Parts: sequence; C-alpha cells; structure tokens
Amino acid sequence: MNVREWALVLFTILAQMSVGSFIGLGIVHFFAQKKAGQEEADRFSSRALLAIWPVMALGFLASILHLGNPLNAYRAVTNLGTSWLSREILFGVLFAVLGFAFAILQWRKIGSFVMRNIVAWLAAIVGVVFVFSMGQVYMLPTQPAWNTMATPISFFTTTLLLGALALGVAFVINYSIVLRKNPDCEEAQCELLHLSLRWISIVTVILLGVELIMIPIYIAALSATGSAVALTSTSMMIGEFGVVFAARLVLVFIGAGIFGVLLYKNAESPGKENALANYAYGAFVLVLVAEVLGRFLFYATQAQITL
Amino acid sequence: MANQLAFYFDASACGNCKACQVACQDKNDLPFYLRWRRVVSYGGGGWVPHDQYEGIMVPDIFAYSVSVACNHCENPMCADVCPAAAISKRSDGVVLIDTDKCIGCRYCEWACPYGAPQFNEEIGVMTKCTFCEDLLAVGDNPACVDSCVMRALDFGELDELQAKYGKQMIEPLADPSITSPGLVVTPHKNSQLAGEGTGKLMNLPEEV
Repeated sequence: MNVREWALVLFTILAQMSVGSFIGLGIVHFFAQKKAGQEEADRFSSRALLAIWPVMALGFLASILHLGNPLNAYRAVTNLGTSWLSREILFGVLFAVLGFAFAILQWRKIGSFVMRNIVAWLAAIVGVVFVFSMGQVYMLPTQPAWNTMATPISFFTTTLLLGALALGVAFVINYSIVLRKNPDCEEAQCELLHLSLRWISIVTVILLGVELIMIPIYIAALSATGSAVALTSTSMMIGEFGVVFAARLVLVFIGAGIFGVLLYKNAESPGKENALANYAYGAFVLVLVAEVLGRFLFYATQAQITL
Repeated sequence: MANQLAFYFDASACGNCKACQVACQDKNDLPFYLRWRRVVSYGGGGWVPHDQYEGIMVPDIFAYSVSVACNHCENPMCADVCPAAAISKRSDGVVLIDTDKCIGCRYCEWACPYGAPQFNEEIGVMTKCTFCEDLLAVGDNPACVDSCVMRALDFGELDELQAKYGKQMIEPLADPSITSPGLVVTPHKNSQLAGEGTGKLMNLPEEV
C-alpha cells in the first residue's frame, strides 16, 4: 500500500458515498413531500443535497493524486470504446455535473418541478452506472481476486450503506440548525427526522446482513477456484492482514448492527433527539472506518497473474 | 506480409546469464529499476520415494530460466484498458506506449499478465519494450536478441515461428488465451506447461 492506493481508497469510498446519498435523498424527499408537503420536505433535505457535491469533488481530487502525470488527466476519457476506466471517469464527471446542477436548481428553485425532477433522475441513473463502471474497472482476467461478482456487489453495498448513514448525519445536523433558527417546536421536522432515521436504520441492518453473508461466500468462492493467485489473496486477507480484516468486521457489526438497532429504538418516539444524534454520528463514523479498512484490504490483498 | 512480430525463446538453451536484460537496459538507457526484459528462474520439486528401494527418499528437483519482455500480444489488454488511448498496436504487431499521452494511472500494469508496462518514476509515465523499433527500422535485430551468448533469443513472424517450434507455453508464463502473446518457446527438458506448474519463481529479491 502506498499513497497511490490510498488515493484510490479515498476516491472510491467518497464517490460511492456521494452516489448513495444522492439516491437516498431522492427517496427521502419523495416520501417527506407526501407526508409533510413540499416546503417541509425541502427544509428537511436541501442542506444535505448541497453537501453531496463537495464530497464528490474531494473524491475526484484524490483520484488525480494517483496519476503519475496529472497534466494529462483530461485524456482519461479518450478510450471509451474499450476502457472501463475511461467510462468510469466519464460517468463520474457526468454524475458530478448533473448532481451539482440539480442541487443549484433545487436550492434556488430554478425551473419547473418536472424539469428538476428529470435532472435528478438523470443524475441518479448516471450515478448507478458510475458505480457499476467502477466495479468493471477491477474485473480484469489477470486479477482473479477482483474478477468476481463480489466486486460490484460490495461496491453497491458500500454505496447504499455509507449513503444512508451519511444522510442520517446530515439530517441530524440540519435538524439542529433548523431548531436553532426557530426554537419553537418544529413538529413536522422532528417527525421527518424520526421517520427517516428509522428507515435509515432498517436499511443499514439489512445491508450489514448482505455484507456479512457476502464475505464468507467470497472467500469460499476464491478458495474454490483453485487458482494459486486467488489463494494468495485469501491467505493475505486472513493471514498478514488478519487484524485489519477482524477490525473491519467488528467495526461494521458495532456500527451498522448495534448502533443501527439503537438508532431504530431511539427513533421510535420523539424526545430522544440527543441520543438519536449520537447514534447517527457513531454509526456513520464506525461504518466509514470499517468501509475504508475494507477497501484498504481490497487493494492490499491484490493478487495478480504476472511475472 | 508482416503482421505480427514475435519473440522466440529457447528455454533449453538459456543459461540465466541475464545478458539480454542488461543489453536492453543499456540500449534503452533505462534506470536500474526498469527491466523491459527480465530473466526469471522457475523451479520446484522436493523429496520423492525412490523408484526401487522402499523407504528411501531421493531429491527430485528442477529449475530453468525464462527470458521475457513485452510479448506485443495479438490482443494487448494494456491497450484495451488504457483510459488515455496511449497504447497502440502497429500494423507489424508492435505495441507501443505514447508517453506524451500517458497519464501515469498504471492501470495497464494491472491488466498485463507479463509485467511488461513499467512505471518510470522520473517522468511519471508508463514505459515498456519497444521491440527496438528503431533498430528494426534500419534492418538490425533487437538488442536482446543480438546479446544472447547462447543464441536462445530470436524474433520473427508469429505464425512462422509457431509453425517451426509449436504453440506450447511454459510456466511461469500466463495462460496464452488471455492475450494471445507474440511469444514462441522451446521448452527446457524440465519445463512445466503453463497452468500445470508445481514450482515457483526462484529469483532472489535483489534480482527482480
């Protein structure tokens, strides 16, 4: 592991978190609007929307760090015909542009509702294609440990898991700002906060299940290939990097599992906003660290067919 | 009609002297850590039961060397995956990196099964064997071919070399179906076929 690979850890994690947050926010806004009307839904979600783009921009900045010749970075989209890396960058840039455009349009209420909706849908679809391309980048015949379905599945799991928990934090922060500006009881906002965090915690626990089922299946599948190169990767995962692997499992279990359940319990009824906030922060930080460790392992246990 | 140049390597003749590797570094003025051509040692084996006397174990070990550069593959995966379209294949089959176009992402390094594209730390871009295209252009042989004291290296048209020496590929070279390499080998008497190896790379850490 070197600076270059840490740059890729940062890029993939931040990009996936942005896409997940964007899609999650769309779903939350849709239901919030049904429940409490457009004005309350906007008050609840627009700060979170504005926070997504800087995260994506930071991801791209990190990705440039791993280039030996950053001055040529613009050339990264010139081989769309055969290179998934070119496609990844193209869809990533498109997602960033559309997401930014939508955030500005929504924030300033520019254009009709239908037009904004179209931009949001486009950004969400491009975001999904972006994460899909990211997975394809690693599915090379010379990389048996990466060239499995586990790569795209884990990328999408990270996308949704970090997206959901980042939104939880954004909603908690937004709520405290709303309260500070208007100390009177913000009943509608309070209800939206509880409802959304309850659903975030449900999604989180489900995704934890997906992750915990995927890991043994992945290791078993790699072992079953009988490829010596693939076996190198698994033995590094449980040998040399065993401590990191264990830490990752423990952290994601505490963050998404235990904190997820506590989040759900505290979101059931109003009056426990402080505890709610703490569990939302805690779950996010623990899962973020766990996912970063997981992605570190992804690169660190790379095993290539080469000389 | 030239369409796919290839290297020929005779494993039964190679004495692991590394003259080809050094000639390549010298001709291309490469820094020490860049080895566009490398000589790797592959070996294995162990103690096996004696074929006549029960209870007696005897050593049965093997080792041989393989010299490998870029194989200028028929399906160069490095060129397919390069996001900057910096790697191209000429009509004579030679695969070249345009260092002016390279962004230094090192993705080709992940894709190549032969370790051919190598990162030049000084200029921040990928470099690799050019088949000594400048020498070919004036009718000379690649530097590695001419340097080989055992005459274990040669080059020519892939189909002609295959017609003469066969299509077998030996360990530790990758399964040729991945990229269809422009490489033809004559096996060493102990060579194991690619994909059926029981040995491992034996080079010392300071060697590779």
